[in-house]
Amino acid sequence: MTKNVIEIENLSKNFGDQKVLEDINLTIKDNEIVAIIGPSGTGKSTFLRTLNHLNEPTTGKITVGDVTVDAASYTKKQVQQLRMQSSMVFQNYNLFKNMTALENVMESLVTVRNVNKKEAREIALEQLERVGLLDKKDAYPSRLSGGQQQRVGIARALAVDPKVLLFDEPTSALDPMLVSEVLQTIKKLVETDHTTMLLVTHEISFARDVASRVIFMNEGRIAADGTPDEILSNPTDKNLQQFLNINQY
Amino acid sequence: MGFDFNYMLEVLPTLFYASRFTFYLTLVSTFFGLILGLILAVINYYEIRILNPLTKLYLFVIRSAPLIALLYFFYYGVAMYSEFVRNMNPLNAVAIVISLTAGGFMAESIRGALLSVDEGQKDAAYSLGMTDGQLMKRVIIPQATRIAVPSLFNNVISITKMTSLSFVLGVVDVMGAARVQGSRTFSYFEIYGAVIIVYLVIIGVLSVIQRYVAKKSSEAY
Repeated sequence: MTKNVIEIENLSKNFGDQKVLEDINLTIKDNEIVAIIGPSGTGKSTFLRTLNHLNEPTTGKITVGDVTVDAASYTKKQVQQLRMQSSMVFQNYNLFKNMTALENVMESLVTVRNVNKKEAREIALEQLERVGLLDKKDAYPSRLSGGQQQRVGIARALAVDPKVLLFDEPTSALDPMLVSEVLQTIKKLVETDHTTMLLVTHEISFARDVASRVIFMNEGRIAADGTPDEILSNPTDKNLQQFLNINQY
Repeated sequence: MGFDFNYMLEVLPTLFYASRFTFYLTLVSTFFGLILGLILAVINYYEIRILNPLTKLYLFVIRSAPLIALLYFFYYGVAMYSEFVRNMNPLNAVAIVISLTAGGFMAESIRGALLSVDEGQKDAAYSLGMTDGQLMKRVIIPQATRIAVPSLFNNVISITKMTSLSFVLGVVDVMGAARVQGSRTFSYFEIYGAVIIVYLVIIGVLSVIQRYVAKKSSEAY
């Protein structure tokens, strides 16, 4: 039996009076590739960010790997431990602007995990090679295209060997021309790596292609959850049908 | 009575020599101003309780009160109640008041630079497990420095000019030396023409350095 890597119990998130996430319960098993789809503004990104405590949940328990944070009471240390279980790839890449590609990938190894510089450098070079950007190792983010920046972002996420990779709309800030290089990089990861992945994405055909499970979120709730076939080919939920029609899948 | 060009050239060396106080005051005030400015800016950035409103009040006072009023207030006013200030030499008194003022102005420059570091950089740092301290040291300060340098340099130029008020407390800086000369020869036209030249040279040199530093920091990444 595969164990659960993520367990979420009664997760809710309010921004002021507005309920963004409502009572989300979810378990994700080791090696699952989960795509999260849904209309804009339904809390997909907020949900992903709460897994990293970048948005604090209002209520609920979040377990990633072997760390649990309960919104009712937690310490800074617990939050930091939770964050170290996973890695996040951001919509706007968020590479550290004051560091080269290589330094970006080394940063959390050296600063947070106390890996010595030489070893960190080796790991970072290996990861940059995986995303095909070894030749750009000394370039600052401002000298890289969006697609290249995102691939460095992926290398940075991989460097710490996380239990879970979180992708927050990794291609939505990219020019259409550059989307495929990032999707190809992710696809390659799925094929070669056995890390659990959560992807918030608008690329429905990509979700079908790589995901082992698809979650449809609507109005802050999980409205449908199943295999790509169940969700994308034979949707039963009305909102989901409408969403897929609009997206002309 | 025409403009005596030769007399102007004659007083220039005296004035340039007196500018050593200008340099001294600028250096000291920049140094302490930076430290104070950084502290004030960080208090404001983190909105630290109790201290933050005090910081705002301080900035308001510094921004509003004329420097000459602050100098008199400190050197003649505070001195009435403080033995320490009473025994202080004018140069140190000016250095203290200008440092306090510089700290206020520099705090604004630093605060703006800290705020200019975008949220995404913080998200990334936290997401990698960094603490607030690591985020500050590794990401925010390096990035903010680059943004702050040009405006801090403007602050230094203002500080240099502020020091010209030190003569009111009796420091014989460029303006002080000019006053001494003026009371002797009454050739104000030439003397203050020379004063302006001295400042143009000093500020001119600073501006060249500023341009160089700004160019370097914009090329950094």
